[in-house]
Amino acid sequence: MILNKATGLRIDGRKSISKTLPLHEYLNPQFVYIPLLQQNSPLKRVVEVGDSVAIGQTVALREGFGAMPIHASVSGKVTAVKKVWHSSGRMVDAIEIQNDHLNRMAESIHQEQDAQLLDKEQLVERMKQAGLSGLGGAGFPTYVKYQTKCAIDVIIINAVECEPYITCDYMLIGAYPEKLLKGLSYFMKAAGAHRGVVAFKSYNQHIREVLTPFMASYPEIELREVKDIYPAGWEKYLVEQITKKTYANLPAEAGAIVDNAATAMVFADAVEKNIPLISRVITISGEGIKNPQNFFVPIGTPVKELIQLCGGYADGLDPAKAWYIAGGPMTGRAILIDELIVNDTLGSVIVKPMPDEKLHPACLGCGKCADVCPVHLAPTEIQRAFEAKDLAAVKELNTQKCMQCGLCSYVCPSHIEISDYVARAKDFMRKGA
Amino acid sequence: MARFANGKGPFLRLSDEKNYGTTVIMRDFLIALLPLILFAWYKNGIQVFIDGNITLLESFYPLVFILTGGILSTLMEGIFYFVTDKEVRTFKALFNRLSTSYAVIPGLLLAMILPLYTPIWVLIFGCLFATIVGKMIFGGFGYNIFNPALIGYIAVAFTLMGVINAAGGALNASEVVIDAIGGATPLTTLSSSGVLTYNTLVAPYGNLWDFFIGTIPGAIAETSALACILAYAWLVFRKVIKWFVPVIYVGTVFILSWFIGLSVGQTGLWFPLYSILSGGLMFGAVFMATEPVTTPRNPLGKAVFALALGVFTVLFRFAGDFAEGVATSIVFLNIFTMPIDKWTAVIRVEGVNKKTLVKVIVLAVLIVGVAAFAIWRSSSIYHVLVDLSIMIRGAF
Repeated sequence: MILNKATGLRIDGRKSISKTLPLHEYLNPQFVYIPLLQQNSPLKRVVEVGDSVAIGQTVALREGFGAMPIHASVSGKVTAVKKVWHSSGRMVDAIEIQNDHLNRMAESIHQEQDAQLLDKEQLVERMKQAGLSGLGGAGFPTYVKYQTKCAIDVIIINAVECEPYITCDYMLIGAYPEKLLKGLSYFMKAAGAHRGVVAFKSYNQHIREVLTPFMASYPEIELREVKDIYPAGWEKYLVEQITKKTYANLPAEAGAIVDNAATAMVFADAVEKNIPLISRVITISGEGIKNPQNFFVPIGTPVKELIQLCGGYADGLDPAKAWYIAGGPMTGRAILIDELIVNDTLGSVIVKPMPDEKLHPACLGCGKCADVCPVHLAPTEIQRAFEAKDLAAVKELNTQKCMQCGLCSYVCPSHIEISDYVARAKDFMRKGA
Repeated sequence: MARFANGKGPFLRLSDEKNYGTTVIMRDFLIALLPLILFAWYKNGIQVFIDGNITLLESFYPLVFILTGGILSTLMEGIFYFVTDKEVRTFKALFNRLSTSYAVIPGLLLAMILPLYTPIWVLIFGCLFATIVGKMIFGGFGYNIFNPALIGYIAVAFTLMGVINAAGGALNASEVVIDAIGGATPLTTLSSSGVLTYNTLVAPYGNLWDFFIGTIPGAIAETSALACILAYAWLVFRKVIKWFVPVIYVGTVFILSWFIGLSVGQTGLWFPLYSILSGGLMFGAVFMATEPVTTPRNPLGKAVFALALGVFTVLFRFAGDFAEGVATSIVFLNIFTMPIDKWTAVIRVEGVNKKTLVKVIVLAVLIVGVAAFAIWRSSSIYHVLVDLSIMIRGAF
């Protein structure tokens, strides 16, 4: 129907600026800071200041929903518990580990004799023990998805990276293409699925090129292009494109599980070498960075050191007139002080000078926000209901469907913080009046 | 350690770019008015001068008149801000304020839909209503409920039409000398005679091609369907308006007029064509039914609004006293913009299901009911059905 057509918008990707330099491995920072927060749950620390830790040793536990261990990413000594800036925009407690540069591995890390022998339950247990969580940005504990009671026929690897600037998955796949397919095949085994799909954006033909030589060994896996639109990497959009089915809450209802490409690669290591989630790739990019590039780093690395490795900030950058964004430019968050540390969900840090000031008129009611909304919300109506504190209307307008993609603010010709209003309306709805 | 700026995501905005934003939308809107203004100048100025009925200097009058409307409303809005807002007392602040409130538009549009020989003091009165009553007392740009230009138009039409007609009315110097026209525009002929034949409604003004081009009597700049279609194509191309709004509006009027024609035995398509090509329908459909501030915001709401406009235009035109029907129906439906917006927003996101069924039925019954009432008032539904059934049988 013309009034409800599948929506999304082509956004200038600005990805080429961080693709020119190869993936840089930076494995030994002087200090790492393991944040004691995952999603919204605080973690329980299990090491004391002064303890000596090895790579892969459990240092904290997530409890309650999604309970799992969190591991040390370098070997060395726990020197303090400090507050650090976290990608959630808050300061959180973190375990400071001083690197002894000995790369001592925990005993649990060893080559698996025959990874093919592991069965479904063992693989799911492995996800839990590896502390595997979604590296795409949501940070949802992976094993929870695989404990579903629904029958799963397809595992979808999300290599779409639809936000501008971010190239971390692209670079990682380029460096280790076969690992992605291995990880996916283990995921398929863990879910009992017989179909695997790697979804990528149509302009990223490079991903097809690097994966094709290995495809013959994985007959159940197929490659799938999606349109170059934002938000093509949205879980529901991918599932709809690939299974032609839709769902209310979880992809499992449509017989699908969606995992990020980097998550699959960590899982491949977890299965074959028993290495838990201790490192990730992060894109440092934006017009405010001298030489934007991607880094493979232990979790807890200070972003500051990475920016120095990029040659620092661009010449003449005035921090007071620039944003330091944790995450992508569409859904990320401005961090006020550049003391951020890398955590599991942080895929990128973008430093971007603010645009020139412009006069912005009032809302003219053009309805572009409603046009582009991927879930067909009417943001201006939600704003009106929220400002009137009309809880019933906020509910009736299906505000909870908003996934905060930011497109409404992006297209607004009057520069209104419309997605912020919708986010606040969502909060208002959750907390009640 | 460096301190960075705070901000709200997303950190990419189209409105930060040079050629995107509300100001660009309004600029495109003004550009779309150009073909109409030029045609108005041609029809009421140049052509009349060529006919030898006015002097060269007089031939610029239509242009001057339209521009005066724009200047008047800018002036009035400036004075309003200067008087009411203490922060807008310097030239720069005033300029900034006016440039983001698009003060020129109400007066410009109003001047375009008034008859040619409207006295200037009537135009001033109209602009006062359009800008101050229609726009500023609601809070200025973005907050007005009614289309400002149409508020001005209705104020003039209700109170001073006699003055305008006495001053010369809509007909230019070339048209007024044609006996067949008898001093009337096509729609006033329809409204006063009530006879629906080709010979009374179309023949005096030429043929339907003249209606399409716009060389027929009417308000200064709204007679040319061709110019409106050009403007429509430009506005759709620039994504200023939704393509389906004018199509639904004009289409509804076309179909309902066709039914009304059928009921009096006029099975030809000339009557619905006459109906959509005369008066300000095309102008209203392209420029006023799509006006963002006063019409619904979500696409479904825009479609429902356009449909309702078509139905009410037919009702007001054929069953009411007013010859036009366009201005009144748009202003009337502006009142319902907010509820339509809210209802359609819910229907759009939910789809038609148990929760929204009542809303869907109420909207459908209202629109169909008014359409049926319009046909009943202006003719006979019985005849429409008889004629339709004959045509359908004939088709097989």
